[in-house]
Amino acid sequence: MSDLLLKVAGLNKSFFGVQVLRDVGLELRRGTVLGLVGENGSGKSTTMNILGGVLTKDSGRVELAGEEVQPASSRDALALGIAFIHQELSLFPNLSVEENIFLDHFPKRGAGIPFIDRRRLRDQASKALELVDLKVSPTTPVMRLPQGERQLIEIAKALTRQARLIIFDEPTTSLTARETERLFEIIGRLRAQGISVIYISHILQDVMRLSDDIAVLRDGEVVGAGRREDFTVERLVTLMVGRSIDRLFPEREPSQGPGGAALSVRGLSQPGVVKDVSFELRRGEVLGVSGLMGSGRSELARILFGLDPYSEGEVRVAGERLPPLKPRLAMDRGLAFLTEDRRGEGLMMEASIADNIVLPSLVERSRGFIGWLDPTGLEEAARDMAERVRVNARAIDTAAARTLSGGNQQKVVIAKWLLRAPSIFILDEPTRGIDVGAKYEVYKIINTMVAGGAAILFISSEIEELIGMADRIMVMGRGEIRGFFERASFDRETLMSAALWQ
Amino acid sequence: MGGVLPASSGGALSRPMRLVRLVLFSDYLVLALTVLYVAALWFAVPEIISPTNLNDIFLQVLPLFVAAMGLMMVLLVAQIDLSATSIMAMSCVVGASIMTSQGGYLAGHALAPVAAVLAIVAIGLLIGVLNGVCTIVFDIPSFLVTLVTMMFFSGAAIWYTAAHTNSGSSIGALPSSFLAIGYGGIAGIPYAALITVGLAIIVHLMLTRTVFGRWVRAVGLNPSAAAISGVPVKRVVIGCFALSGLFAAFAAVIYTARLEAGTPILGQRILLDVIGAAVIGGVSLFGGKGSVIGVLIGVLFLSAVDNGLQLLGLSLSSVYAIKGGVILLAAVVDAIRHHLLARG
Amino acid sequence: MNGLNSRAVALIALRFAPLMLFVALCIVFGTLSDRFLSLANFRNILAQSTHVAVMAIGMTFVLLVRGVDLSVGSVMYLVAVAMGLYLSGLPLALSIPAIVLIGAAFGAVNACFVTGLRIASFIVTLATLFIGRGFALYLSETKMVFQSDTVQTLGRSSFLAIPWAIWIAAAVACAAWVTLTQTPYGRQIYAVGADPDSAAKAGIRVQPIVFSVFCICGACAAIGALISVSQVGAAAATFGYQEEFPVIAAAVLGGTSLFGGRGGVFGSIFGAVLVQTTANGLVMLNADPYLYPLVNSLIIFIAAWVDGRRRLMTERIEQRKIRVEA
Repeated sequence: MSDLLLKVAGLNKSFFGVQVLRDVGLELRRGTVLGLVGENGSGKSTTMNILGGVLTKDSGRVELAGEEVQPASSRDALALGIAFIHQELSLFPNLSVEENIFLDHFPKRGAGIPFIDRRRLRDQASKALELVDLKVSPTTPVMRLPQGERQLIEIAKALTRQARLIIFDEPTTSLTARETERLFEIIGRLRAQGISVIYISHILQDVMRLSDDIAVLRDGEVVGAGRREDFTVERLVTLMVGRSIDRLFPEREPSQGPGGAALSVRGLSQPGVVKDVSFELRRGEVLGVSGLMGSGRSELARILFGLDPYSEGEVRVAGERLPPLKPRLAMDRGLAFLTEDRRGEGLMMEASIADNIVLPSLVERSRGFIGWLDPTGLEEAARDMAERVRVNARAIDTAAARTLSGGNQQKVVIAKWLLRAPSIFILDEPTRGIDVGAKYEVYKIINTMVAGGAAILFISSEIEELIGMADRIMVMGRGEIRGFFERASFDRETLMSAALWQ
Repeated sequence: MGGVLPASSGGALSRPMRLVRLVLFSDYLVLALTVLYVAALWFAVPEIISPTNLNDIFLQVLPLFVAAMGLMMVLLVAQIDLSATSIMAMSCVVGASIMTSQGGYLAGHALAPVAAVLAIVAIGLLIGVLNGVCTIVFDIPSFLVTLVTMMFFSGAAIWYTAAHTNSGSSIGALPSSFLAIGYGGIAGIPYAALITVGLAIIVHLMLTRTVFGRWVRAVGLNPSAAAISGVPVKRVVIGCFALSGLFAAFAAVIYTARLEAGTPILGQRILLDVIGAAVIGGVSLFGGKGSVIGVLIGVLFLSAVDNGLQLLGLSLSSVYAIKGGVILLAAVVDAIRHHLLARG
Repeated sequence: MNGLNSRAVALIALRFAPLMLFVALCIVFGTLSDRFLSLANFRNILAQSTHVAVMAIGMTFVLLVRGVDLSVGSVMYLVAVAMGLYLSGLPLALSIPAIVLIGAAFGAVNACFVTGLRIASFIVTLATLFIGRGFALYLSETKMVFQSDTVQTLGRSSFLAIPWAIWIAAAVACAAWVTLTQTPYGRQIYAVGADPDSAAKAGIRVQPIVFSVFCICGACAAIGALISVSQVGAAAATFGYQEEFPVIAAAVLGGTSLFGGRGGVFGSIFGAVLVQTTANGLVMLNADPYLYPLVNSLIIFIAAWVDGRRRLMTERIEQRKIRVEA
C-alpha cells in the first residue's frame, strides 16, 4: 500500500495580485489519511478547492494515480474520483436521503428511459448508508436529520461515486462528541478499503489521531510535512504560527495603567452562540480576542453592538446599561463596529468613498426635523477623515468603493467610524485580506486611537498580530471564554493551545 | 479563509468595449434617443411638434412624472410597487364621491374640494403603508403584495363607483374650484405643472440633501451595511412604500382634475408607463440608483413614444406590445449595466 | 424543546390552513345556497377548475425554482387566437401539438431573459404579458375569435361520462407528477429551488433546468387555453385577462412556496378547485360581480401570508436543530 495516489507539485495561485499559494507540494498514498493543518488563511482551503474543481490553479501540477489531471468543475472532480465534503454541506433539506445521495446519478429503469428506478435507488442507498453505519430509512427527508447524520450522508454520496479520494474540510465543527467518534470510525474503515482521505482540521489532537501523514501550511507555503510519528501537537502549533518576518508592528507605549471600564459585560449568554461571557474593556486598552472560526468571537461582537439578541446577562457602557438589539443606541453611546465581512456588511461597493464615510454620522450632522444635510460640509469632513487614515484614491466624491484595493477599502470602513469619534471600537478581523503595508497603517491608526483614550476590542485569527498589538488577550472557544493572558505572559504556543484544546 | 479579497482595479479595456460602456452608462442616452425619435417622426407626422400636440404631451407627462417619482422611491430600496395605478383609481373615486355635486357627501360645501384632496392623499398614504408593512413584516415578496393590492383596490374602485353612481363608469360633476388644478394657472403656467415641479424639487432635495434620502440609497445598495451603520432599514423601506402611495395619490389629483371625473379605470393604462419611465430613466431594479432628472427623461421618452404611436394611427394593443418591449429593453440595459459593474 | 413542539404544531396548522378554508367555504356556501352542495354543482366546479389546474401545474414548476410567470394569461389569449384564426382547419391531432409548441416557445423567450441576463422573472414576464397580449390583439384586431367546430365539440363531449377537459387535465397532472417525482430531472428541480448555489456545487446544470421550467409553464398555459376556449367556444378580447392571479393563487394555496423548493402537482390541483369553489359559490349566492376580484385577491393574499409564515417557522426549526446538537 505504498503507491502514490495523489501528487501535487509547485502549485501557485493568486487572487487579484495577492499570492495565496506558493509552490505547494503534497503527496498522498493510497489508503492513508493526510492531515492538513494551518491557521485561517494559510491556503488549506484554496489548495483543496483546486483539487475539488472549485478553483483553477495558476501553475503547478496535480497528478492522480500517475496521470496529470485538471478538474474544471466539481462535476469533473467527482468523475475523477475526488469527492470534496465542504464545511457547509451541500445537501437539500427538501429531498430525501436517497435522492440526496444519487442526485446527479440516479439509477434509471434502463438505458434511455428517463425514469428513476425507485427499487434500485432504495437498495443502493441502503447499501451506501450501511457503509457509513447510518440507520435511517433512505426515504427520510434530510430536513429531519441532525447535522452529524447529514455529514454521513455526504460521505455515503462520495462512496457511491466510487471516490478514490475524499477531502474533509473541518468536518467536526458542528458535530457532537458522539457523532465525531462515529465519523472517525468510518474514516478508519474507508482507509482500510483503500480510499485516501485528506483531513483538514483545527483540532490538532484529532489530526494526530487520524492521520498517517501530516502537512502544515503557513502563508500559502508548506512549512512541514512527514509521517505522523515525526510530529507532536506542540510541534504542529509551533510550525503553524511560526515567526514570519514580514509582519511588523508599530511601537506603542504600553497603556498607562488601566483606565476606568469603558465596556463591561457580565454573564452574557445566548443558547448555542455564547455562554456566560464576562469581561471588562478599559479605556486606553487594546483587548485582543483570539479563537477559531465558530468560537463565538464574531457572534459576541454582533451581540455587543446590538445586532443580535441575547437571553441572559448585561452589557454596560461607562456604567450605563445598554439594552439589546439597538445598534443606533450603541452608536450613540460611542460604540463602533468594523465587521469581518467588508464587502457584505462594511461598504456600499457602488457608492462613492465619501458617501460610505459619512453614512453612520448623517443624523448628527443634519439640521432640523427633516434632517437637512450640507453636502459640501459632509464631503469636506469625509475628505479630512480619508486623508487622516490615508485612503489612497483619485477622488473621494466620485470614485466608487469598489474601485479601491482591499487595504484602502478597509481604511474607508475605519474612516467612517472614526468620523463618529468612537470611545469603544470593536474590530473584527481588521487586517484580513489586505497587504502588509496597509496592515501596518491600520495598526498605527489603532495606536493613535488608544493614545487618545479609546478602548479597542481587537478580534483576530492571527495570533502574531494580537501579540504585537494587544495589552491583554482573551481566548474564546465554543462560545465560552477559555482564559485571559496579560502582555507579560503572551506566548504563541500557549495561546494557540488554549484556543485549540477541546 | 481567503474569502475576502482585494478588488481588481479596473484593468485595461479594449476600445470598442469602452465605447459600449460609455453609451450604456450615459445619463443622457435616453434623452438623445427621445430627440432622435421625435425628429424621425417629424418626417412621417409633422403634427408631432404642433403646439396643440406638444401641449397634449406636456399635460400627459405631468401625472406620469409624479407617479414615476413615487415608484422610483420603492425601486431605490430594491423593491417594486405594481399598485400605483390602483391607488390612483381607488383614491380618485373616493375623492370624487366626496365633492361631486350629484349626491356627493359634501356636495356644494365650500371646503369639499379640500376634503376630497385630503381623502385622496390619505388613501394613497394608507395603501402605501399597507404595502410596506406586508412586505417587511409578513415577509411576502413585494411584487406579490403589490400585485394583490393592485387587484384588490382596482376591484374595490369599480365596486365603489358602481355603488355611488347609476352609470357605474365614473363620478363626474366635480366643483370648478377643484377642476382649476387641471385648467387654471398663474401667468399661463397651469397649477398642475406648478405642483409637479414643486414635488420634483422636493424629491430631488430629499434624495440629495436629507438624511432620509441618503438612507434610502444606502438600504438599496447594501441593506446589511446600512443596518450596521445605524440605518433603520425596515422603517426606511416602509417609508418608501408610503411615499410611492402618496405620489400615486398626487398623480390621481392631477389626473382627476384633467378628466373632470373620478373613474375607476383611471391610470389603468399607465401601469406600464410608470414602470417603464422609471427603469428607462436609469432607476435600477437592483436598488440604490436613480434620480429625478433621469425619471423625467424616462417620462419624456415614454410619452413621446406613446404620442408618436398614436399619431401614427397604431391601435392601442400595438402600443401596449411596444411599451412592453420598451420595458424589457430597459430591464436588459439595466441588467447589463449591473453585470458590467459587478465585474469591475 | 417545548417551543419546538408548539412551532411544529403551528406548522401543521399552517399546512392544513387551505383545507380548513375549503371546508369552511363549503359550509358557508352550503348553508346560504341550497344548490351549492349538489353533485351536479361539484361536477361543474371540477370542470370549471380544469384549466386553472393545468396552468397552476405549469406555474408550480416555475415557482419550484424560485421564479414566477405573470404572462400565462397572455399566452392563453395568444393561443386561443392562433387556434381560432390559423389552426381551425387542422385536425386536433396536429393543432394541439402546434399550440403546445407556441406556448413552450413563449416560455422559452421568458427563459432567455431570466437565465441569460439574470433579470428578475416577475419583470420579464410582466413585460411579455403586455407584449404577448398586444401582439395577439393585433392579430385578432380585438374582435371575438370563434373556434372551429372540432374544438367546440371537444368542450361539449365526454368520454366514459367524464368531460374531455377533465381527461386532459388528468393526463397533464399525471405527466407532471411523474416528471417531478419519478425522474432525475424532477428531483433536480427541487434541488435547484432549495439552493441554486449548492445545486451547482453538487454538479447539477442549473441554468438549463431553469430554462426548461419556463417552457413547461408556457406549454401548460397553452393546454389550459385549449380547455378553456373549448368550453367557452370563442375568445373575446379579455380572454385570459388577469388569469395569472387565480393560477398563482391555486399553486400557492396548494402548498407551493414562492421561495422555491417545495410544492407539488396535487396541491396545485386542490388549490385550483379551492379557487374555483369560491368563484362558484359567489355565483350561487348571486353576489355582486364587482366583489369577485376582491375575494380573489384576499385568497391569494392569505396564500402568500401562510407561505411566508411557514417559511419563517421552518427556518427557525432548522436553526434550532443545528444549535441543539452543537
